[in-house]
Amino acid sequence: MQVNVLYRPSQTVAQVWLQPQESIMAESGAMMGMSMNVDMQTQAGGVMKGLKRLFGGESFFRNTFTAQGGQGEVLLTTPLCGDMAVLEVGARQWQISNSSFIASSVTVDVSTQASGRGFFSGAGLFILGTQGQGQLLVGSFGAIEAVNVNGELIIDTGHLVCWDANLQYTVGKSSNAGWIASYLSGEGLVCHFRGQGQVYVQTRNAQEYGSTVGRLLPPVQR
Amino acid sequence: MHAEVKHNPDFAAVQIQFHQPGEQVVAEAGAMVARDTAVQMETNMRGGLGSALKRKLLGGESLFQNTFTCTQPGQTIWIAPAPEGAITQIDLQPGQELYLQSGAYLASSSGVQLDTKWQGAKGFFSGEGLFLLRAYGQGSLWFSSYGGIHVVDIGQQYPGYICDTSHMVAFTQGLSYNIDKVGGLKSLFLSGEGLVCRFGGQGRLWMQTRNPGALASFLQPFRTVQRSG
Repeated sequence: MQVNVLYRPSQTVAQVWLQPQESIMAESGAMMGMSMNVDMQTQAGGVMKGLKRLFGGESFFRNTFTAQGGQGEVLLTTPLCGDMAVLEVGARQWQISNSSFIASSVTVDVSTQASGRGFFSGAGLFILGTQGQGQLLVGSFGAIEAVNVNGELIIDTGHLVCWDANLQYTVGKSSNAGWIASYLSGEGLVCHFRGQGQVYVQTRNAQEYGSTVGRLLPPVQR
Repeated sequence: MHAEVKHNPDFAAVQIQFHQPGEQVVAEAGAMVARDTAVQMETNMRGGLGSALKRKLLGGESLFQNTFTCTQPGQTIWIAPAPEGAITQIDLQPGQELYLQSGAYLASSSGVQLDTKWQGAKGFFSGEGLFLLRAYGQGSLWFSSYGGIHVVDIGQQYPGYICDTSHMVAFTQGLSYNIDKVGGLKSLFLSGEGLVCRFGGQGRLWMQTRNPGALASFLQPFRTVQRSG
């Protein structure tokens, strides 16, 4: 599998080249186009797995694309403007903010982190974790930047794309001055990372964007 | 005239420099960014009321178009579409035809003719409007995409191509397509992929890298709720 990210940094598309019989699993709705010999299957991956995924804020179903009888091509995209990154999974495992997941090799298992702190951390952050070996494709809203954590770093949950699974993290309020001050600061929840590893940060926050524009739209009549 | 598309693929605009008095550019209502003061501007329903209404109702274009006419050599005009994204310039030759998804048309020089084309029952299910705009004649045409533009040459590089209906922007006359679901019946309702166009033949297909419907669905949950009564 080879993934080329085209039209960086804001109108990106991932052009995925598959070997004969090779597959890629993608988030529902991500496919923009593909060659004629690619076959698509929709899977829930078992009821429990599907439900867990739904709780992860992801769509219940995912699609698997397989090249039949020759090399195949799939184009994958995101709803919002931004960049993409292709990451190797294996020696390093990743944790992913749910809305940043686009696709992965079928040899990589991507599941909702059911246990541990930060499963439900508020601010719309649900976390997915990888297992296995292969490639992972993530997308950002806005530009993407790899930040090296060496020691400690605080990152707003809305700006997280993914991070090295080796990093320790706790989710909490942004300010030390208490919950009210923290709420008024508009900073919401943050991830406090400790250890050594990489964090991919997006320069825009989809929740902030949505609520800024949503206010200007005509109200829904009930 | 000489035209240059700038700032592709993020926030494109086309800058046109006229060479001779009398040269004309027709543009969608609201597309003008700037122009020399002496460039004459005329607002009209191109082709008369019947033809304009057909384009508006069926092709998704605006009812009115503006015609800009050069009065002095060297005058310039800038044109840009409403959404962020790319602009593609096509220089049409007699005998060539280009089909545009409703809403993609931005501007053209005066030798380019436009009409709407009934797509038959297959257009009905595409969700992209029943009609495509057909462009022919001789001159330059500019169309816009939401997001970047991705070109697929069918017949050479690919024997055919499958394109999500909401990402299809334009194609040349050598291509034929049908609208189909992708995957099985289960996929139609559950995959989130909706319907696709399966293209075959010989020609060029232009696709947009973003989808306005996906942006609208993202924003929908952020709308406030007003309870009546």
